[in-house]
Amino acid sequence: MSAGRILVVDDDPQIRRAMRTTLTGRGYEVADARTGEEALEALRSGNYDLVLLDMNMPGMGGIETCRLIRSSSEVAIIMLTVSNSEKDKVEALDAGADDYITKPFSTPELLARIRATLRRLPHAPEHGDLKELDHRGVEIDLASRQVHVHGRASRLTAKEFDLLSYLLARPNKTISHRELLQAVWGPDYGDELEYLRVFINRLRKKIEPDPSKPEFLVTDAWAGYRFHLPQ
Amino acid sequence: MNMSTASRARSGSDSVPRKFIQNAIWLAARILLSLGLIMVVTFLSFRLLPVNEITAGFLYLVAILFIATVAGLVESTIASIAAMLSFNYYFIPPIGTLTVSDSRNWVALFAFLATSLTASQLSARAKRRTREVVDRQNEIERLYSLSRALLLTDATRPIAKQIVEQIAQAFESPAVALYNRGTGEIFRAGFDDPAAIDTELKDAAVRSEFLHDEHRGLTITPIRLGRQPIGSLAVRGASLSDAALQSLVNLVAIWLERALSQETLNRAEIATRSEELKSTLLDAIAHEFKTPLTSIKAVTTDLLSDSAAGLEQHQRELISIADEGADRLSTLVTQAIQLARIEGGKFQLNRGIHLPGSLISSALRQMKSLTDGREIKVCVAEELPLVFVDAELVQMVIAHLIDNALKYSPRRTPISIGARMSDGHTIIYIADRGAGIGEEEQSRIFDKFYRGRKEQHLKGTGMGLAIAREIIHAHGEEIRVSSKPGEGSEFSFSLPLAPRGGE
Repeated sequence: MSAGRILVVDDDPQIRRAMRTTLTGRGYEVADARTGEEALEALRSGNYDLVLLDMNMPGMGGIETCRLIRSSSEVAIIMLTVSNSEKDKVEALDAGADDYITKPFSTPELLARIRATLRRLPHAPEHGDLKELDHRGVEIDLASRQVHVHGRASRLTAKEFDLLSYLLARPNKTISHRELLQAVWGPDYGDELEYLRVFINRLRKKIEPDPSKPEFLVTDAWAGYRFHLPQ
Repeated sequence: MNMSTASRARSGSDSVPRKFIQNAIWLAARILLSLGLIMVVTFLSFRLLPVNEITAGFLYLVAILFIATVAGLVESTIASIAAMLSFNYYFIPPIGTLTVSDSRNWVALFAFLATSLTASQLSARAKRRTREVVDRQNEIERLYSLSRALLLTDATRPIAKQIVEQIAQAFESPAVALYNRGTGEIFRAGFDDPAAIDTELKDAAVRSEFLHDEHRGLTITPIRLGRQPIGSLAVRGASLSDAALQSLVNLVAIWLERALSQETLNRAEIATRSEELKSTLLDAIAHEFKTPLTSIKAVTTDLLSDSAAGLEQHQRELISIADEGADRLSTLVTQAIQLARIEGGKFQLNRGIHLPGSLISSALRQMKSLTDGREIKVCVAEELPLVFVDAELVQMVIAHLIDNALKYSPRRTPISIGARMSDGHTIIYIADRGAGIGEEEQSRIFDKFYRGRKEQHLKGTGMGLAIAREIIHAHGEEIRVSSKPGEGSEFSFSLPLAPRGGE
């Protein structure tokens, strides 16, 4: 059984070749695409667990491709960026990526990121220890990862779902940045505050009736985040 | 061009006396014609159809009014006296003499003279007014045609030069010169002694003084914008009223100012465009270099990772060499692009308000893989004020300095990083216990591609400190090194404080 199906999207043939060889060697099933358009086509016809998406591609760029993938799929996405700048990182995460890695990267680092992205919460919350939320027009169905806010339906990506369920399982308690990062992304993480900032924003857009005035996902400045559940 | 201006200038200076003589001849001719007219009237009234003295007096008056209207005051005054004498001689008894027998006739004679003089004066004044109105109208038309011509100026040529040409054309002036104080340029047309006129123009602009030289027919007017003198204008040969001259000068002031602001705008736009182009180009270069490096690194790191067992010792060694080479190349490309991006200080700072301590801890976090195994002492003074900096760039500076300290000090020695207040400045410092830097080298280490003489064998690009200095200078602050050979070095830089009231 394969460790997962990965779609490599990069316009450079050498990178596709190297990725295919490296990842196949680690037990992943690998397919590749040269452009954003090809990637969308591949995702329509096949089933993938993760997309490795280059940010700088001719034609439809990586960011635009990421947005289009996100509009119809919750597949995990790792962006490959050239620049290490804060702006590019946030742009990638904002477009819906789960993680990013800066070129050139080492294979062990890439494998660690892939594992972290595909990683699920160790204790899946579906086992009845968590009630579904149904409060003032906001419905979160944890089994199907469906969210309904005043009749507007959206689906959560796996990482968004894990983050939300971790907070939801500990209502009205401030969870520190480090704890959240290590629980949801893995033990190697802990300082990547921008991940939390972007993911919490993405969640707010999906579950808050008014994302600019969060009611449930509350920021506790300098400390962490808290899920506010009215008693 | 020079030849033609010179010859035009000469004809201009010659024309003054010639014009005077011409005017005198014309005046004499008009006086003769006026006297002729009086003679004709005398002949008509005395000989051709003899009339009484009252009719004759009216006929003389009509003739004088006609002369005053057509010619001028001088002509009509002379004609009045001639008419008075003729009237006396031919019509007032005793006829044929210039004597008057009846004292009542004296009254009549003087009444006639007074009437004719007053009438000629009135009509001459009316004529002068009319001419003035026509002149003003003419000036306004010229100013209008000038302002219209200035609207069609050619953006590729100096505006001041075009203004000079257009004034010379619109006012048919043989010589015009304009001094633009903002650019220090002087444009002339038609002056045969450029040096002299240049001095006069500059004087007029500096002193903001008006100068009119009747003899040379030259007027020099300072050009002001508000109360600020921005240049001066010299016009020769064109007789302009004060009002017209002021309008002309105002028009020139507006155009000079317009040209100046246009130029400032253009310069700013060119700078922005070239900055954008540079940035795009550097992004493209970074991408092109990093793409092949990515595939090399993917391969070498995969082979070297633990799970890829089965490599012989010498194979592992060879792959390590390739891997380190790729790392080095990657650092080189990254730093060369960083340096190119920030060199010359022309880049956008993305400033925000930050805690000095968090800048240090973020930088240390980024360097985690490199600082592993080294003792790092962090010491941030308490209650430091907030700083107003581009956090990403300042973290880059700290990272370069840490990297430097790691490279130039022995593994077992600690590295101290901290922030403190000194003379009202927030200072961040990074100190090592390496070999130190000799005094003669201290001034050169921030130069691009300079590397310590003893450290040529170490991996480095020689760009890190140059990048650090550019970034700190862009913030308007200073970076310095203090070092004692044998004891270590301390690099420190100051940071701008956040404005009061910021949080």
